Amino acid sequence: MAFAKPSIKRRLVRYVPSITIMVAYSCIPLLGIRGFWLDVLTRANIFALLTLSLDLYSGTTFYLNLGISFIAGSSAYVVALLYRYLGMVPEYSIIPAIAVAIALSTVIFLPSIRVRGVYFSVLSLLLPLIMVSLITSQPLSLYLGGEGGIPLPSLFSSYARMLPPRERIPFLQLTWFYLTTALTIVAAVLSYKLAYSNFGFMLRAIGQDEELAEASGIDTTRVKLLGFLVSSTLAATAGALYAAIRPPVTVDVLIPANTLVPPLTAVILGGMGTIIGPLATNYITIVAYELLWDAIGRWRTIAYMLLLIVLVILKPQGVVFHIYLKLRKAIATKLSSVTWR
Amino acid sequence: MGELEYILLFGLFHSVTYLVFSLGFSLVFGVARLPNLAYGSLYVLSSYLAHALSSYAGLEMYWAVPTAVLLAGAVSLVVGELVVKPALKMPVSVFITTMAVAYIVEEVLNMLMGLRPVVLSLYPGTSSILGIAVSNHWLLVVGVCILMVISLTIFLLRTSTGRAIRAVAESWEESMRLGIDPLRVLRVTFLVTGIYAGVTGVLLAPLKAMTPSAGWSPLFAAFAIVVLGGVGNLIGTVVASVIYGLLEQAVVYFLGGGIARVVPLLIVVLTLVVRPQGLLGRGE
Repeated sequence: MAFAKPSIKRRLVRYVPSITIMVAYSCIPLLGIRGFWLDVLTRANIFALLTLSLDLYSGTTFYLNLGISFIAGSSAYVVALLYRYLGMVPEYSIIPAIAVAIALSTVIFLPSIRVRGVYFSVLSLLLPLIMVSLITSQPLSLYLGGEGGIPLPSLFSSYARMLPPRERIPFLQLTWFYLTTALTIVAAVLSYKLAYSNFGFMLRAIGQDEELAEASGIDTTRVKLLGFLVSSTLAATAGALYAAIRPPVTVDVLIPANTLVPPLTAVILGGMGTIIGPLATNYITIVAYELLWDAIGRWRTIAYMLLLIVLVILKPQGVVFHIYLKLRKAIATKLSSVTWR
Repeated sequence: MGELEYILLFGLFHSVTYLVFSLGFSLVFGVARLPNLAYGSLYVLSSYLAHALSSYAGLEMYWAVPTAVLLAGAVSLVVGELVVKPALKMPVSVFITTMAVAYIVEEVLNMLMGLRPVVLSLYPGTSSILGIAVSNHWLLVVGVCILMVISLTIFLLRTSTGRAIRAVAESWEESMRLGIDPLRVLRVTFLVTGIYAGVTGVLLAPLKAMTPSAGWSPLFAAFAIVVLGGVGNLIGTVVASVIYGLLEQAVVYFLGGGIARVVPLLIVVLTLVVRPQGLLGRGE
């Protein structure tokens, strides 16, 4: 089906809010924000990749990929192990780690991607927990770092050492922030394009009714596998970056409460499959999570879970994306009334 | 020969406990059409409740244990009513809500009781079976588990509620045409399976260290057993429990407890590759 392409003006008007937000976000360090909050935003960028990974596949197909912790954890551990056994620093090990994590997760998940039903979701939840057991118990704990994890130098630390001591940490914080921001922007644009392309609609068709999608000529296994590969690439990138920026690599990266629940909350609260909603929600929830620390301390995890339950039951279609649509419409109406020359 | 006897004996003991736990899991899976990820938390919760009732409320163990089991059943009922029933329209929701409940239970126990494992007192004494010294508590566990399997089978086959559960597990639409209220059946199923998870928890608490996260391991074992045996297949579940129990004990004996955690993963992946409908399950 062919739709008439909107005019350049209309397209520009449509993208103005998103482009403004991206530019404004990139300028945050110019406002003098440094230290803890810049670290929080860097972490939010990494979690944004996980959120996009979850939303692109699970938000469209409704096959819950609870194994993003496994994929992210695998690439984080490969980064750490490449340093421990081959002396490879994160600057060089990030890309091989992403490739290994994708290959590993594809081999394990392929049988469950082929069949319908809940097998994929349960298997994806099972994997990270098994990996935690393997890493923390004998004899593998001797090779995989056990509870203490694997130490490694952080990304770009070798360059930072050439600077005067006072400038090292600000340099690293800024570099990490801009690197993760750039990657997140690229990933967000690609995910958005993909989610609303023909391929994205095929994923959504599978989510609505897999049998019907198959009957209408979609090779569902192939589409699911391709969707899974793209989603895994994002999760593996997040894991490798997390390892490189926040060493040492410990089993914390594999525990779903740490690396699955925040993106899952963002996807549900943001609006499944909408990409923009979950992405915005990711930043709101991570900043809110840090602000809540003083108020409710460790109870914040429980607050997250309760929010998740209430949202899933009362607002399964999400909240943030609808607010975004209303805002965009209001801005577009304002801009349309301006005469362009 | 000693090794083989040990693996056989403890493999069968574990199989019986897995069978009871998996039957409850399979029943909810059949009726709600989705796995209840909070099922493992009921197993942990019952042992923590029994510990709390005996240590802090001063109840005798023979009162604390049944009270804890009934409370686990009540919690399961509440989970079914408040968290599962409203989310049934969207299958993916049940998955998320029950997982969230599991993490809430884990976090609350972590904060209230800490990471130190809870161990309930053992039924005293040892007996010798095949020349192997076995704790009498294991014999009690096996006896109670066998009784529970028999009573569940009679309940499902001989009572009208049991028949209604089987009908709903077969088809929600058809059962409604027969005048069965599937939501009432769901309620009963959650209560019964909560009690089954609770009994397994208090029975195994003296033998295994119960930590707040201890519920995931039996949950995955139950999932592997249900996948291997075929969803909703009683005989398949029995056969799969025996295979699982023996395989797990063999791996524990020869390779250690850490590696044994891979057993459910191995079973699920191999079953999905070779026979996705399970050993005795029907094809799509």
